Amino acid sequence: MSTSTRFGDRRGTIAAAVTALLLLVGGVLVAKALTGPGAPPQPDRAQGTQATRDAAPTPGRSATSRPTGSSTPSPAAPSSTPGPDFGPIMGPSSPVSLVIPSIGVRTSGLVDLKVDRNGKLEAPTDFARAGWYAAGPTPGEFGPAVIGAHVDSKSGPAVFYRLGSLKKGAEVSVLRRDGSTARFVVDRVARYSKADFPTATVYGDTKGRAELRLITCGGAFDQSTGHYVDNIVAFAHLTS
Amino acid sequence: MRTTTKIASVALGSAALLPFLGAGIAQAADGSTMATLRPVALNGVKGSGTAMVTVTGNRINVTMAANGLLPDNPHAAHIHFGADARHECPTASDDKSGDGTLNTTEGGPAYGGIVVSLTKTGDTSPKSGLAVDRFDTAPGGKIQYERGSITVAPEVAQAIVDGKSVVVVHGVDHNNDGKYDGATKSDLDPSLPTEATDPAICGVLAAAPAGGMDTGAGGTSTGTNEGMLALGGGLLLAAAGTGVLTARKARNRA
Repeated sequence: MSTSTRFGDRRGTIAAAVTALLLLVGGVLVAKALTGPGAPPQPDRAQGTQATRDAAPTPGRSATSRPTGSSTPSPAAPSSTPGPDFGPIMGPSSPVSLVIPSIGVRTSGLVDLKVDRNGKLEAPTDFARAGWYAAGPTPGEFGPAVIGAHVDSKSGPAVFYRLGSLKKGAEVSVLRRDGSTARFVVDRVARYSKADFPTATVYGDTKGRAELRLITCGGAFDQSTGHYVDNIVAFAHLTS
Repeated sequence: MRTTTKIASVALGSAALLPFLGAGIAQAADGSTMATLRPVALNGVKGSGTAMVTVTGNRINVTMAANGLLPDNPHAAHIHFGADARHECPTASDDKSGDGTLNTTEGGPAYGGIVVSLTKTGDTSPKSGLAVDRFDTAPGGKIQYERGSITVAPEVAQAIVDGKSVVVVHGVDHNNDGKYDGATKSDLDPSLPTEATDPAICGVLAAAPAGGMDTGAGGTSTGTNEGMLALGGGLLLAAAGTGVLTARKARNRA
């Protein structure tokens, strides 16, 4: 400003103004690129990245449940025994909200998800909502309940943006329509290529345990398809 | 210059990923199905369960877990299918006798006849449908069942894959006295009380999800950020250019 007033040159003033504008816009863009949300976090190796493939999906041998001691079924139980130990199991009731304190997820109004013609589970159409596989078990029931949400929209982070940074031992709560809360603890978080997705590990048998799968996208984003190439999956089991 | 290289590398990077995208996941024919077992209408069971059936050709593998059943009594369990059935679990309106409960025959129009007997050992054909000595007795009211390589007829395998078969676990306790009894005889075997064979929990075997989910639009992906960085950098470079120009003009004037 002082330059232009001192020399009183109109073209100089315009050039200076253009310079200022370029500096401003350029600077903002660079700052945004550097400090902005950036690429979503990915699970680290220690969480079990891609290490657990299901080579042959034998029923009951899926790698999903890794009970730490308590849920080993008692073989050939005589009539007086309590029977197999599945851990806590809740009755059916659909989920209404999801809370994951450690990664700041607090979302309500879960939408119903169904499988598409190719058998793939459809993502929520709304980037601001999580969805659950409504034909499967409700969270807290027997088997693997599935909740999926977007990692980002076209413009910024979405519900499961930070799912990749979720850690083993983290708590996940699902409030259900009947007023009860299903509390889960995370067993592991893994990243899988969509082209080689371990269907049986993620959606398969849990040996009776009530478990939860949280799914979002990960890895590289392919501009030509408009999709990420990987999925991030968090595995959790019901504690109460 | 640097901007160009960066853009080029980003473009190359995404091009390298292209070949993998064609290799889709759509293997719906892998025949993995799942049923969420819920109480049968009118029969007063509080239990629930889950069943998974994987179909490979004419062989199926079955796993099942359930709770809330009458403990320490045999629970016949089957896969049901009928070409003209509704392929669903029975509802209260299936109570044709109007006695306030549903027996196995009344459930027929919903789920069809027995096509596989989920026995623990031996024969698994419909003939073993009431082989009470070979079914799980639900210690603690719970069942954990696993059986592999059960051979089924081709049309049964197809019905399972198509989501038209139904898993039913039988055996209820209408009068809550802890055992199968009562004056009403079973519609399937008059030597048994109806409590022993009435359907307890039920679920339709439907295709389990297969493959991943498309849960992102890329707004925060690295690629987009690189573009933003490149554009911003370019503008800053341009600013440097016009800045130099302004300064030179100013000096010339002076």
